[in-house]
Amino acid sequence: MFHLTKLGARLIPGTAALMLAGMATAAELGATDEPIRLAINEWTGQHISTHIAGEALRSMGYDVEYVTAGNYPQHTALADGDLHATLEVWTNNVGDIYPKMKAAGRIVDIGPLGLTTREGWMYPKHMEELCPGLPAWEALVGCRDRLVTAETFPQGRILAYPADWGTRSADIIRNMGLDYKAVPAGSEGALVAELKAADARKTPLVMMFWAPHWVFAEVEAGWVALPAYEPACDTDPAWGPNPDATGDCGVEAPVTMKVAWAGFEEKWPAAWAFLEAYTLDTAAQEAMMKAIDQDGEPIEAVVAAWMEENAAVWTPWVEAATQ
Amino acid sequence: MTGFARRFRASCRSARPWLAVLGLSALLLAQRAAFPQIVGYPDAWTLPVAEAINRVMDGLVAQFQGVARAVSGGLNLAFSGVRALLIGSPWAVPVCLFCLIAWQGGGRRLALLTGALLLYILASGYWEPAMNTLALVLVALPLSILIGFGLGYLGFRSAHARRVILPMLDLMQTIPAFAYLIPILLLFGFGPVVGLIASVVFAVPPMVRNTILGFERIPPAVLESARMSGCSRPQQFAWAELPSALPQMLVGVNQTTMAALSMVIIAAIIGGFEDIGWAVLSAMRKAQFGQSLLSGAVIVVLAILLDRVTAAYAARQLPGASHAGLPLRRFAPVLAAALIAAFLAAQALPALRDWPAGLIHSPAQAINAATTGFVLAHGELMAALKNGVQFFLLLPVKLGFERAVVPFTWGITLTPGMKAAYWALAGLGCVLAFGRGRWKGGIAVLVVAGFLYFGATGLPWATVLLLTTLLAFQLGGIRLALLAGGAVVYLLVAGLWQQAMISVYLCSVAVFLCILLGGLIGIWAAASDTVSAIIRPINDMLQTLPQFVLLIPALMLFQVGDFTALLAIVAYAIVPMIRYTEHGLRSVPATLIDAGRACGCSAWQLFWQVRLPQSLPQILIGINQTVLYGLGMLVIAALVGTTGLGQAIYVALGEANAGAGLAAGLGMALIAMTADRLLQAVIRGRA
Repeated sequence: MFHLTKLGARLIPGTAALMLAGMATAAELGATDEPIRLAINEWTGQHISTHIAGEALRSMGYDVEYVTAGNYPQHTALADGDLHATLEVWTNNVGDIYPKMKAAGRIVDIGPLGLTTREGWMYPKHMEELCPGLPAWEALVGCRDRLVTAETFPQGRILAYPADWGTRSADIIRNMGLDYKAVPAGSEGALVAELKAADARKTPLVMMFWAPHWVFAEVEAGWVALPAYEPACDTDPAWGPNPDATGDCGVEAPVTMKVAWAGFEEKWPAAWAFLEAYTLDTAAQEAMMKAIDQDGEPIEAVVAAWMEENAAVWTPWVEAATQ
Repeated sequence: MTGFARRFRASCRSARPWLAVLGLSALLLAQRAAFPQIVGYPDAWTLPVAEAINRVMDGLVAQFQGVARAVSGGLNLAFSGVRALLIGSPWAVPVCLFCLIAWQGGGRRLALLTGALLLYILASGYWEPAMNTLALVLVALPLSILIGFGLGYLGFRSAHARRVILPMLDLMQTIPAFAYLIPILLLFGFGPVVGLIASVVFAVPPMVRNTILGFERIPPAVLESARMSGCSRPQQFAWAELPSALPQMLVGVNQTTMAALSMVIIAAIIGGFEDIGWAVLSAMRKAQFGQSLLSGAVIVVLAILLDRVTAAYAARQLPGASHAGLPLRRFAPVLAAALIAAFLAAQALPALRDWPAGLIHSPAQAINAATTGFVLAHGELMAALKNGVQFFLLLPVKLGFERAVVPFTWGITLTPGMKAAYWALAGLGCVLAFGRGRWKGGIAVLVVAGFLYFGATGLPWATVLLLTTLLAFQLGGIRLALLAGGAVVYLLVAGLWQQAMISVYLCSVAVFLCILLGGLIGIWAAASDTVSAIIRPINDMLQTLPQFVLLIPALMLFQVGDFTALLAIVAYAIVPMIRYTEHGLRSVPATLIDAGRACGCSAWQLFWQVRLPQSLPQILIGINQTVLYGLGMLVIAALVGTTGLGQAIYVALGEANAGAGLAAGLGMALIAMTADRLLQAVIRGRA
C-alpha cells in the first residue's frame, strides 16, 4: 500500500546515477544502494546546510535519508553507524560525547562548514538608548542598575546559556571583574522568548548568544564589544583590562564542523569527497533562514531555488568528487 | 495546679524527641558561622555514586548490547510496518480503520467523534508526525500490556515476587524519563526504539497494578463454582479467573495507553523519527507559541482519541453495556472489506490519498501576534505580579526571612528587635498550643517558623535528616523511618544535597499554592454545575498538553527564573487537587447534609462541620497526587532555568553521563516516594 509515485521518484535518480557511475573513472561512488543517513538537528540553519548537501548527494545518485536527531544524542548514533553524517556541529556546544567518540576513533571530522560565526554578549538594539555607551563593554559598569532584577539583586543580570552548555558568561563576568550575575536560561527557547519579549516591551536585556541565527531576521541586535579574543588572553594575566586574571576577553568565534561516522569514507568515497569540498556561505544561509522561518516557505522549495540559482557554486564540487 | 500547666507538662513529655531535635538544631544554627559544613554538606563526605552507576552501566552495555540490539532490530521492524500502514497508505485507509475500531468499541457516536478528531489532525497539517507518534504508541502498547500482565499475574500468585515488583513500579513511575534516556540509548542504539522502550518502562506499572487488583477482586464464589464443576488449573485460569479480572485489566489498558503517549513526547528529545513531539520541541526551541500550541493540540487530540476508544472497550465488558459490536469473526471481514474499499476509492480520488494542501489551516502566526500583543499590553502588570510573588513568597521560602528581608525587596531591614519579636511570637504560639494539650500543633508552629526564618537552603542538613526521620517514625513506624532517613542520607552522600533542597523549596511552594487555589476552585466547582462544566475540559487539557507548550508565553511574560517554573508546576499539579476536592465534596451523602440542616446548621457551619470533614480523605488523596505531579514537573521546569535536581538531569543528558543522570533521577524518585508514603500514612491515620 505504498505510493507508487514515491517509489518512481526514488528509482529515476537512481537509474541516472548508475549511468553516471558507468562514466566515472577515478572516484568510486561506493554503496549507492544503501541510504546515507544525514542528521537533522533542532535549528533551521542546520536544516538548510543538510538539505543542500543531501540534494547534491542525491544528484550524484545516492539514496539520502534525513533523520531527526538531538544535538547531543546524534554523536552516539554516528559512532554506531546508525547515522552517517551531520553537517553543522558547533564546536562551542558539543557536550561530552563528541570529544569522547572522536578520541575513540568512531567519528571523524570531515572539515569546517565555513560559516562566519560569532558568539558573545548580545542585546536588542533599544538597549543603546537605555544604556548609553554600548556597544563598548565599559558601558555595562555604568548601567548595572538598569539590569538589576529580583533574582540577582544587588547584581545586574546577564542571561546565560543553559547550564548544560557550559559557563562562558559566568567566567567572563568573573574574569572581567564585573558586578553581574549569570542566570542560566534552561533552553534555547527560553533565550529566544526573552529576547522577543524584551524587544517587544523595550525592557533591558543582555544575553549570551550566537550568529548566524534566524532570530536576527526578526529582532535588531547589537553585540557588546568585549576585548577581542587572542590566545594570550588565556595565558597572560597582564593581557586585557583586568591585570589579575586570564580570560578577561570575549570568546573565540566557534567553528562549524562537518562530522561523519568513521566508516563513511570507505563506504561512499565520492560522497566523502563531495562533503569534504562542501562549504556554505553565511549570507546565503541567513537569507534562506528568513525565507523559511519568517515567510513560512517550505524548506524543500527554498533549497531547490537556491541550488538552481547557484549551480555554479556546488556543481564543481560534485564534478571534482566524481571524476 | 491549673489545667493549663498540667496539659503543658504533658505536652512537653509527649514532644520530648521533637524538642530534643529542635534544641540540637538551635545549637547547630548558633555555630554555623564558625562551621560552614553545618549547613552545606561537605564534599569530602560524599561517595562516588554516579561513577559506580556508570561502571555498572558499562558492564551491562558490554554484556547485553548484542541482545539489546537484536531486540531493537525486531522492534524497529514492527514499528516500520505499522508506520508504513499509517503513513504509506492513503489517509482514507487509517481514518476508516480507526473509525471502525471505534464503532466496534463504542457505537456510532464514538465513530463520529473519532472521524472528526482525525479530520482535525489532517486539517492541522500535522498528519505525518501524528501518525508516527501513533505508530509508536501502537507498538509500545501490546508490549506494555503483555509485560504488565505477566508481572501482575506473577505478583498476584506470589507474595515474594510482589515484594520485589511493587517498589520497582514506584521507581519506574517516579524516576524522570530524561534520566534513563541515555542508558537506553547506549544499550539499544539510536532511533525510535529509544522512545519505544522509554514508553514501555513508564506504561507498564498501571497495567501491573490493575492486573493484581483485578485478580484479587475475583469473588471467591466464582472460583469455588469453577472448582466444583471440575476445572483443571489451566481451565480455571482461562474460563473463570481471566474473564472475571478482565474489566479491571481493561481499565489498566486505558491508563497504560495514556502513559505510553505521554512518554513518547519526552522521548522526542533523542530524535530518530519525525514525530509530533519533535514538532513541539522544535517550536519550543524557536519560542514559537503558535506552532507549539497547534502541535500540542494534536497531542491532546490523540490523547482524547486513545482514551475514549480504550475506555469504550473497557466499558463494554461491564454488565449492562448498551453496545456489543459485532462478533470478531464477522467484524474482521467487514473491516477488511472497508479498508480495501477505502484504498480503491483513494486510487480513483487523489484527494482521498493526499490531503489537499488548500484544506490545511494554520492560525500559528495569528496566535504569535496575539501573544506578543498581550506581552506588550500587560507586561508591566505581570512584572509587578512576578516581583510580588518573588519577594514575599519565593525568596522567604528559599533563603528565609533572615536573608530575604532587605530594603530592595521588603523596603525594610530586619532589626534585632524584629528578630526577637518574631521568635517571641513563635515561642508564644507554641506555649499556648502546648497548654491546650495540642503538642503537635505547637511543634508545627516552631518548625514552620524556623523553616521560614532560615529558608530551605539555610537549614542544617542534620536538622532535615532528624526531623524527616522522626516524622516518618511517628506516622508510620520503623519501616517508614528507614525509608525517609535513607532517602535523606542518599541525597547527602550522593552529593545532591544543595540541588535537592532547591527542588524541595520550589515544589513545596508550588504544592502550597495548588492546595490553596485548587482547593478553592474545587469547592466552587462542587457548588456550581456551570463552573464544573467549564473546569473539566480545562483540566483535561492541562493534563495532556505537553508542558513545553505553556512554557513559552510564561517565559515571554515572566522571563527565565523560579517564578516561571512555579507557574509551570502549578498549572500541571493543580489538576488532581481540583478534581479530588470536587469529587470528595460532591460525594458527601445527602442524608448527612439533611441531618445537618435539620440541626439548624448555617451554610457556613454545614461546610466546615459536615462537608469538609466528610470529604477530607478524598482531598488528602488529591494532595498526595499533587505532590507527585509537582515533583514530576521539576524536570520540565529546568528548561526555564531552575537549578535543582531537574537541571542536574539535563546536564547529565548533555554530557551523556548515564550515571549522573540516574543518580539525580533516583534522588528525585526517593523524595517522591518519601512524600507519598508520609501522606499515605496521614491518610491511614485519618481513616
